[in-house]
Amino acid sequence: MANLKEIKRKIGSVKNTQKTTKAMKLVSSAKLKRTEELAKRSRVYAAKLTELLNEIAQKMHQNNVGGLDNIYFRDVVNPKVVDIVFITADKGLCGGFNAQTIKRVNQLIATYKAQDVKIRLRAVGRKGIDYYKFNNIDLNDQVIGLSAAPNFEQAAAFISDISAAYARGETDKIVLVHNGYVSMIAQEIREDQVLPIDASKLALNTVSTSELEVEPDDDDTLLEALVKRYVEYTMYYSLIDSLAAEHSARMQAMDAATTNAKQMVKELTVKYNKARQESITTELIEIISGVESMK
Amino acid sequence: MELMKLEIVTPTGVIFDAEVKQVTLPGSEGEFGVLPKHATLVSLLDTGVIVINKADGSELAVAINSGYVKVDEEKTTCIVDGAVSLSGEDGDIAAALEEAKKLIKSTEASSSAIAAAVSKVEQIGKSY
Repeated sequence: MANLKEIKRKIGSVKNTQKTTKAMKLVSSAKLKRTEELAKRSRVYAAKLTELLNEIAQKMHQNNVGGLDNIYFRDVVNPKVVDIVFITADKGLCGGFNAQTIKRVNQLIATYKAQDVKIRLRAVGRKGIDYYKFNNIDLNDQVIGLSAAPNFEQAAAFISDISAAYARGETDKIVLVHNGYVSMIAQEIREDQVLPIDASKLALNTVSTSELEVEPDDDDTLLEALVKRYVEYTMYYSLIDSLAAEHSARMQAMDAATTNAKQMVKELTVKYNKARQESITTELIEIISGVESMK
Repeated sequence: MELMKLEIVTPTGVIFDAEVKQVTLPGSEGEFGVLPKHATLVSLLDTGVIVINKADGSELAVAINSGYVKVDEEKTTCIVDGAVSLSGEDGDIAAALEEAKKLIKSTEASSSAIAAAVSKVEQIGKSY
């Protein structure tokens, strides 16, 4: 029977898909473990760096009557140019992971457009780049391959172009959007203002134990070097965070796909059995009526 | 002898965390040593070698490219970009030396600073 054969073929194909999704889930969970470990280790560095930045800022805050007055710490009320850096994956098959980031970026673009702010988009990851290319929206900068394998040097080179533009006054604000890792089953869109550093986030009023001595003696040199590092590291950390989230999203998506495939195989098997029984019944009736007619 | 806590942190994790007697650091304004109860200080670190005098009296050298150090009375925290430990303990010292030299040469530091750091690394290499 043609129908029987077709159903059988379908079952085979769904079973194959199930194998693929199952394998992808396993690969993602292994990669997730590794990325998680990387994130855990680099979190220590990030914490120390922030702590140090905090102390320098605090010192400058104490010495300055008007509070912090530095281009890296100022308050932007009416930005004219905003750089949006966003991170997506290079690959798909991870549920709404990339779509969520793009959606948030589009929201940001709409908000800034309403305020008459010029926006410059900088993309990391193939999926985001493809989306904006397809929609004919210009990207100022784009990198492929960085989000799948975060590398500090490359991340630093990418972001330092942007922070150099900030230092030259070409842009007033740098925002970084990425989909961050929360747990094995949850991701969360994170939107960070990279520069200027949000002074309200720093604990400026804690009292230090002793007078802080700084070498080189010039606060600005040290602060500048520190801010540069801080920005580079924020970028790098976001890449790792995004990668972890990507793997967890893919794990989830592939898990769901495997379950769906299983369900489908079940339904198809029932259908197959019904069709088989039906064909047997038809054949029997044919035989019986043939015998009857010969009597 | 008194001890202080020393921590060396790189982007890939904490590479050193123990009590030490003394540490010599390659500051951007010149090399300086830190003993326990040092006054609070923040300094840029240049390409060079951190020499650690461990609690058991042995010395450990770590080549770094650049970073920062925060010293206070109880604790010294080095935040560095890249580091290679020059210890003979885990395996091949020659490979570690090569790696250290590569790390030092990859920085944007002045050629004299690189030369000084490389010669220091070689000197340490000879002591093994």
